[in-house]
Amino acid sequence: MLGLTWLPVLAWLPLLAGCQAPHPAGELVVASRSSLESVDPVDVTTFAGTQLLSALGDPLYGSDAAGRIQPRLASALPRFSRGGLVARIPLRQDVRFQDGSRFDAAAMVFSLKRFLALAKVSYLLDGRVAAVAASGPFELELRLKRPCASLAAVLSSINLTPVSPRAYRAHARRSLRDRFIGTGPYRLAAFTPQQQRLLPFPGYWGPPPANRGLSLVTLSNSTALFGALLSGEVDVLLSSGLDSDQQRDLHRRAGRGALVEGLGPAVEIGYLTLRSDQPPLANPDLRLALAYGLDRRLISERVSYGMRDPLRNLVPGPLPGSQPPSWPAYDPARARALFRRAGYCQVRGPGQGRRLSLPLSFRSNVPADRLFALTWQAQLQRDLGDCISLEISGIESTTAYRQLGAGAFPLILLDWSGDYPDANAYLQPLLGCRRALGNRCLAGDSAASGSFWTAPGLAAQLAGLESERGQARQQLVSRIQARVAAASPYLPVWRVPPRAWAQPWLAPPQFDGSGRLVLQALHGRSQAGAAMAVRAMAVRAKAVQAGAVAAGGTSGPSVTVPSARGSLAPAPADQLKVPDRPGGTP
Amino acid sequence: MSRRRQLLAYLASRLLLLPVMLWLIASLVFLLLRVAPGDPIDALLGTRAPEAARAALRHQLGLDQSLASQYGHYLWDLLHGQLGTSLTNQESVLSVIGRSLPASLELGVLALVIAAVLGLAVGFSGIARPEGRLDLAGRLYGIGTYALPPFWAAMVVQLVFAVWLGWLPVGGRFPPTLVPPSGTGFYLLDSLRAGSWSQFAASLRHLVLPAATLGVLLSGIFDNALRLNLRRALRSDYVEAARSRGLSETRVVLRHALPNALLPVLTITGITVASLIGGALLIEVTFSWPGIAFRLQEAIGQRDYPVVQGIVVVVAALVVAVSVVVDLLVALLDPRINF
Repeated sequence: MLGLTWLPVLAWLPLLAGCQAPHPAGELVVASRSSLESVDPVDVTTFAGTQLLSALGDPLYGSDAAGRIQPRLASALPRFSRGGLVARIPLRQDVRFQDGSRFDAAAMVFSLKRFLALAKVSYLLDGRVAAVAASGPFELELRLKRPCASLAAVLSSINLTPVSPRAYRAHARRSLRDRFIGTGPYRLAAFTPQQQRLLPFPGYWGPPPANRGLSLVTLSNSTALFGALLSGEVDVLLSSGLDSDQQRDLHRRAGRGALVEGLGPAVEIGYLTLRSDQPPLANPDLRLALAYGLDRRLISERVSYGMRDPLRNLVPGPLPGSQPPSWPAYDPARARALFRRAGYCQVRGPGQGRRLSLPLSFRSNVPADRLFALTWQAQLQRDLGDCISLEISGIESTTAYRQLGAGAFPLILLDWSGDYPDANAYLQPLLGCRRALGNRCLAGDSAASGSFWTAPGLAAQLAGLESERGQARQQLVSRIQARVAAASPYLPVWRVPPRAWAQPWLAPPQFDGSGRLVLQALHGRSQAGAAMAVRAMAVRAKAVQAGAVAAGGTSGPSVTVPSARGSLAPAPADQLKVPDRPGGTP
Repeated sequence: MSRRRQLLAYLASRLLLLPVMLWLIASLVFLLLRVAPGDPIDALLGTRAPEAARAALRHQLGLDQSLASQYGHYLWDLLHGQLGTSLTNQESVLSVIGRSLPASLELGVLALVIAAVLGLAVGFSGIARPEGRLDLAGRLYGIGTYALPPFWAAMVVQLVFAVWLGWLPVGGRFPPTLVPPSGTGFYLLDSLRAGSWSQFAASLRHLVLPAATLGVLLSGIFDNALRLNLRRALRSDYVEAARSRGLSETRVVLRHALPNALLPVLTITGITVASLIGGALLIEVTFSWPGIAFRLQEAIGQRDYPVVQGIVVVVAALVVAVSVVVDLLVALLDPRINF
């Protein structure tokens, strides 16, 4: 009976399938998870928003996959006055907005003033720039509040992309949600929070897009995204918001040649914040013991099948200052010694030592965080079970952010993406301190981040990041990180390289230095090229299966092959067991 | 008092109570949102931005005003029909609702039609032989569809019809590469008005899976309601009386038992419609259907106070209106009902 009831419904489905809307020739569909409420640079705070803006507009500077800053709408790097408080930026003279008006210094001034007045992330410029003016028709002058060596990197933020003064005249003091007139390679043809359609802008100053247009679509869950790529409904899929299991499956499919995969430079890091001004973690030995007791490699494999890279610096590669690693490698013996020195670890005999019971909080709405907490809990139980036990508890992310500054969490896992590609975008927000008492930060970024840690002279070192340049600056970044690592108020855990998967007839997706997909570079490849690539990938996959481990690149576009690490079987979250003690992974 | 007067008095009392109910709901939502930890700035910026910048943004969005002042402004705006603007993009809340409510209603109406047709058909099918195989299968169907977790069922349907068979889209409301029909926001209606078969077919393709899933899940309610009430009606005195007059069983069922059994179903339909106005959250989220429940869920995550408040108030008003209409309809159809 049930089958008969369904028959009329089922009979309709193939008929409807025949009505499938074809993709216009050369247009591609790119899917991700986040919806977008506004396309105005003053409103955009999410990755999805910056991804879209990067196709519609240009910043003054951009960063390549190696983290190098390159002029975009600027024609050269900023020239600083002797005291470093005035920066002059020459602009390109061959750029037009999508409404046909000319891009010049006045347009840039209009856009920056509008940004300062309206933007939700106006702090990017607010703390640095005192005044904006045009010192010539194609020269921008910024008066700075303090020297700012990272100015070019700050100006590479896509939120600072210029908008046409003519188009935004009526919106100089309010945002324009669903239209955008900028200078980018695409113009916005249609906008809804779930779908945006981009068509090439014929008057673009740079190389024209390699495709005939794009539709960016939002699907609200990981399964739908995964299914949409496999069914061919979308051409390119971004990894953000995609579950680890599905990312691994796509990675494997790419290894077999069924898809192509692109890997970008990591801008997102995951780290633990340790409240260092209250017992028990006010004791530096305990913080260091936790640093030694963190098996990043195992955790990365268990949580993300090795697709998140273990990280032992706050500054992720390829940014300058990301090497050498500052935080100690996993060493349970050292951790045990430190725990013992602090009076923990149960040894034979009555009254000998105790077991530290430590609450670990994680964001309950971030699946990877929960897996991290469970895995680390099990790993510590295995390696240092007589010294420490973690009591894990989940908390909704917005609630967690609210309570961080109140010091609610002795130990919590968070993530961070720098607003611009520079070491300072990772150090200052975690370490800055306005008012301190000894090693305790009373007010400032460090307190707001929940660690409350600072050190005498650290503020001067952080300020030095804005005055030093070149090699000296890089060394300063390393010194600061080494100092923080020695005290370990934060423990870097992993960095999350963005990935994208595309249908096999497309060239591998490419990323820029800010971890965003380069949409204008998406294009098909010739049939011969596609067949060769598939064959090459199949050969490489076979080689891997035979034991020859090949690793994908960590920056720039690449076609990856399955990693031997990917062979680890996933464990259900509630049955996580850590394998027997290894010899000690680096 | 005549029955007509009773009805009018009832209608008047419900309409008079409406503003009080809306005020209570609006105040409750306002307070609950403020009591919840974290505010829109925390949701927007996460751990980003220095404290001074966060304070400046709180001031810009009026979140640093006292609770009483915010409440006063909110009620004043509400009295003037203003629901405010979204904190995330300054879009008017009315426009947010105007965009997402038709999507939910379109999904809800089709799902309701499927649920009613399927549920009533299954519920009616076993009536010839109670406790027979068909009846048993219908009961199992009713219990099964009612008990199925919607998100699980939706994912299975998605996997089979969209991923494996590739017949229908995985999610969304319209193909990204086509321009959606404009007008009322009801895409099927708008495309018919525009005379565009391709837009109609595209809209229908996206609507079929979520609506069918929701419809099948809801059909169990109709199935069980009709089965139970029809069985009760068939055992009642007036049916026995009809049989004793020598009427055929078909006539007894269709003319005497069924109309009475359908009255409770009408009430259930009203309740279902009221719940569908608020959207079917799990279905909308699973199928990326940009309806009002989906938008409400996003707004709660973003702590977008005006959007949450606006959606809740509008949905509450619609639910009250629907329940009044259903009450009146039942009263008109059933002369036994007193007020």
